[in-house]
Amino acid sequence: MAGKAASVPSTYSPSPTQKKKPTIFKDVDWVRPDGRGFHQCRPAFLRTSAVNAASGSAYVEFGNTKVIVSVFGPRESKKAMLYSDVGRLNCNVSYTTFATPIRGQGSDHKEFSSMLHKALEGAIILETFPKTTVDVFALVLECGGSDLPVVISCASLALADAGIMMYDLVTAVSVSCLGKNLVIDPISEEESFQDGSLMITCLPSRNEVTQLTLTGEWSTPKIHEAMELCLDACSKLGEIMRSCLKEAVSISKE
Amino acid sequence: MLSGFNVILSTISFSIETEEAESLKQQVSFTTTTIPTALLFSGIPFEKACQLRVKGEGGLSAATAGTMVGLSLGEKHFIRGGIAQDLRTDGRKRLTYRPISVETGVIPQANGSARVRMGTTDVIASVKAELGKPDLLQSDKGRVIINVDCSPTAAPIFEGRGGEELSTELSVALQRCLLGSKSGTGAGINRSSLMVVEGKLCWDLYIDGLVVSSDGNLLDALGAAIKAALSNTGIPKVHVATAASADEQPEVDISDEEFLQFDTSGIPVIVTLTKVGRHYIVDATSEEESQMSSAISVSVNRNGHICGLTKRGGAGLDPSVILDMISVSKHVSEQLMNKLDSEISAAEADETES
Repeated sequence: MAGKAASVPSTYSPSPTQKKKPTIFKDVDWVRPDGRGFHQCRPAFLRTSAVNAASGSAYVEFGNTKVIVSVFGPRESKKAMLYSDVGRLNCNVSYTTFATPIRGQGSDHKEFSSMLHKALEGAIILETFPKTTVDVFALVLECGGSDLPVVISCASLALADAGIMMYDLVTAVSVSCLGKNLVIDPISEEESFQDGSLMITCLPSRNEVTQLTLTGEWSTPKIHEAMELCLDACSKLGEIMRSCLKEAVSISKE
Repeated sequence: MLSGFNVILSTISFSIETEEAESLKQQVSFTTTTIPTALLFSGIPFEKACQLRVKGEGGLSAATAGTMVGLSLGEKHFIRGGIAQDLRTDGRKRLTYRPISVETGVIPQANGSARVRMGTTDVIASVKAELGKPDLLQSDKGRVIINVDCSPTAAPIFEGRGGEELSTELSVALQRCLLGSKSGTGAGINRSSLMVVEGKLCWDLYIDGLVVSSDGNLLDALGAAIKAALSNTGIPKVHVATAASADEQPEVDISDEEFLQFDTSGIPVIVTLTKVGRHYIVDATSEEESQMSSAISVSVNRNGHICGLTKRGGAGLDPSVILDMISVSKHVSEQLMNKLDSEISAAEADETES
């Protein structure tokens, strides 16, 4: 390490390094930038109880996408709110300023908070915590593509960790359409070249879709194909999340 | 609105036992006195309303809004029962739109504008084109900015920041439906056509929607208004002085006589299917929207391809139901597209006459 440091000049001098422009081919024999198969998801790392102060939290890595979600509550709603016999859900998604290649670009995603809310509200049994509010705060530490699906999956893991009653875990997966190919779990580079995208959030064991968004031009058979791909991936992700929760419990028992 | 309810109620009370009728009447008098008029007369879905109130300070809670909105139990049954029997409260069938009226050129200051009314839902869209510099990353494309404003004149709860959440939701949904994906495929608006001098000069298209009066189905109405406004849009012809060197901004001369017509053949229509009970309806009024479990907005272009889809409402849906809703909306979109086209050309003809 010391030898390496010595060879590096002590002052910073900007030298024109040649950055290769990313080339994405849309042929059939095109290989994804990270060498995955078209229908292969990135390796996932899931961990619950990442934040001590929160009632429940989770930290999730999908490739380079790193997200942390804390859940607070159920706690007393703000005084100004009237009586309610079902609980309230409050969601907020924010990006760190260094999450994106260009600083502060994360503020482009204003709609993520309401989309997280819509994805989760159908899964949570709000009747179990009347008069109170559950706060879900998500922070994207590093943006590496498919941010919203990762945030949603991570949030449901954190909710489960907090012991909030849910009908099922919420899992989310997106696919990008590049030329004729459908690629699952796209990275940022693929997302910037995509011709279309589809995101599904679902309750895998109930086979229910809570949120669905689609951009770009799609024919109906293509939608069928993409939805099947997503739902299959969602159910597999659900199993992984379940085993992560079980593992956490068995460790704490020991 | 209230007098209409009374009529409905009196017809119900004839057909049911007196005891029940008595309790119904009590409920009605109860709701009419306790619900703030702000909510009663607001045109937005009540589910939405309570979300907005939760965000804002001192609002009506989600629970109260969910259980005793402006509608009594009898009225809710009436709406749901009507939808199940394919005869809605205003006499429409499940897949029938309210009469649509289109007026173009309503804003003289804009390059193009239109006002669309569907029943009592009333929206205005304006298109303004300004010369700007293209983004470094997409130097061959112009910019399109879509923004929706919910005016407090439409409903008191839109005042201050009250309409913000709904505005963002509508703008994001419209962007998704009209601008396509990042690479520009499936976009209703061809952004490359907005280029004037590559890498240096392009048209920035500002599309602004205004909700004047809201009685449900805002997204479809805004989509139609934007389509009409774009077909009404004339972009001034630009003469570029050729002598400009590589890094100078070229000198331009904007013509105020010659205009280029905007190509709107690729602009999709948006169809929102609202699911009430087991059935789907199009063009839901705000009363019907308060009874929805979920809704799907699909934008379909002339080729029958889907170029954007948004789901609203928290309730989960079976994947097969979603696919069925997509195929129904595709079918409905054809009729809406034809209807809208004829309305737009009629409006344009009216405008040139006057």
